[in-house]
Amino acid sequence: MLRKRVITVLTLNDGTLFRTKLFTPDYRYTLNFVDAWSVDEIVMLDVTRGDSPDRQKFFDAVSTFAGSCFVPIAVGGGIRSLEDVKLYMDAGGDKVVINSGALERPELITEIAEAYGAQCVVLSIDAKQNGAQYEVMSHAGSRATGLDPVSWAQVGEKRGAGEILITSIDRDGALQGYDLTLSGAVAEAVSVPVQVLGGCGNWKHMVSAFEIPGISAACTQNIYHFTEQSISSAKKFLAKKGQPVRV
Amino acid sequence: MIGIIDYGLGNLRSVLGAIGKLGFQGSITSNPDELAQADKLILPGVGAFGDGIGNLKARNLIDPLSEIVTRDRKPILGICLGFQLLAEHSEEYGDHKGLGWIPGRVRRIDPGPQGLRVPHVGWNDFEPTRDCILFDDVPNPALFYFVHSFYLDTDAETAVGTCTYAVPMTAAVQRGNVFGTQFHPEKSQQHGLTVLKNFLERA
Repeated sequence: MLRKRVITVLTLNDGTLFRTKLFTPDYRYTLNFVDAWSVDEIVMLDVTRGDSPDRQKFFDAVSTFAGSCFVPIAVGGGIRSLEDVKLYMDAGGDKVVINSGALERPELITEIAEAYGAQCVVLSIDAKQNGAQYEVMSHAGSRATGLDPVSWAQVGEKRGAGEILITSIDRDGALQGYDLTLSGAVAEAVSVPVQVLGGCGNWKHMVSAFEIPGISAACTQNIYHFTEQSISSAKKFLAKKGQPVRV
Repeated sequence: MIGIIDYGLGNLRSVLGAIGKLGFQGSITSNPDELAQADKLILPGVGAFGDGIGNLKARNLIDPLSEIVTRDRKPILGICLGFQLLAEHSEEYGDHKGLGWIPGRVRRIDPGPQGLRVPHVGWNDFEPTRDCILFDDVPNPALFYFVHSFYLDTDAETAVGTCTYAVPMTAAVQRGNVFGTQFHPEKSQQHGLTVLKNFLERA
């Protein structure tokens, strides 16, 4: 049986890992906490700002991980073209995460899917709540797009995205649980696997996410009181609650 | 030396890293002479079938590889797209002829009445259907990492195991010196490393 995935998201600024709160770098930590044997997948995002940031330190960090963690690594942050994709993949990525690049030029999704296969493209959507509505934000949450996350996810799927990563900006770093209304609506609207990020504060939050059909991965970023044991303790908790996970 | 076939697609570094971790030396190359001299070959892959075959053709690799694999019977391991490229045909975005070293067709995963999510992404059980040295010392069942939208439809003499995503799909094959896994052994933690080790040491 296909297992639900527990994914660790790492944001790197100039090669240094940061956790974020409300999309702002908040607290620095080291590479050592990632439990190489319990985590199902790793997402590494370069959040270095600037017009043409030097990404070499990020690529070096990806290579380091690729050399020691034998799980899939999705890489992203600033991908705008197929040339970028090649650089990120050459550094050791197995798939790419695209966000603002796809909003600026939706054809990018198709270009990557045609060259590397749909399974290689994770469309990341950052959404901000506005009353009862949600709006897709680009450029690390700084620019409003006027797009609705559900319809943007459907466009992304049609253009070739193999997975959707839906992030609630409002929940980032809040540790109060995933936005299940947002992620549930997106999961219902598409037929590709959906990963959810933003707000996980305890293992029960993962259970609630996995109870929604179509959510196949729970991503965590800020829960790093995560020690080596705690990814596996999350898995044990999920298994006890009847969720199919890789223990 | 293990020849990792470079055809411009695929997570070559991950494969190189995994075999390095196992104490083997690999070389990422598209040079036919170097591939002919390698002890074993790995055909990795992340990508689309048409591009995969197209790139192999563009690098003039199909004829030399066919000689090395079908005449010299050098062991080869295809991974994911590399595994699917071993087959006769694929229906991925059109109809493509494959390398034809194992029988079968590559077809799209049917979401079926349950509305399965495609691609099939994540860790799933490998269920052996017959003995194969790749799975020596691997527990049964064991979990491996899959990520694919297409699957290989082959015969029972070729398949060595399946994974179930509503319906059983071929998860690994062996036909003589030709081995392949739909899953990514280089991304499947300890069991994946065991599969690679078995190929490197026992194939």
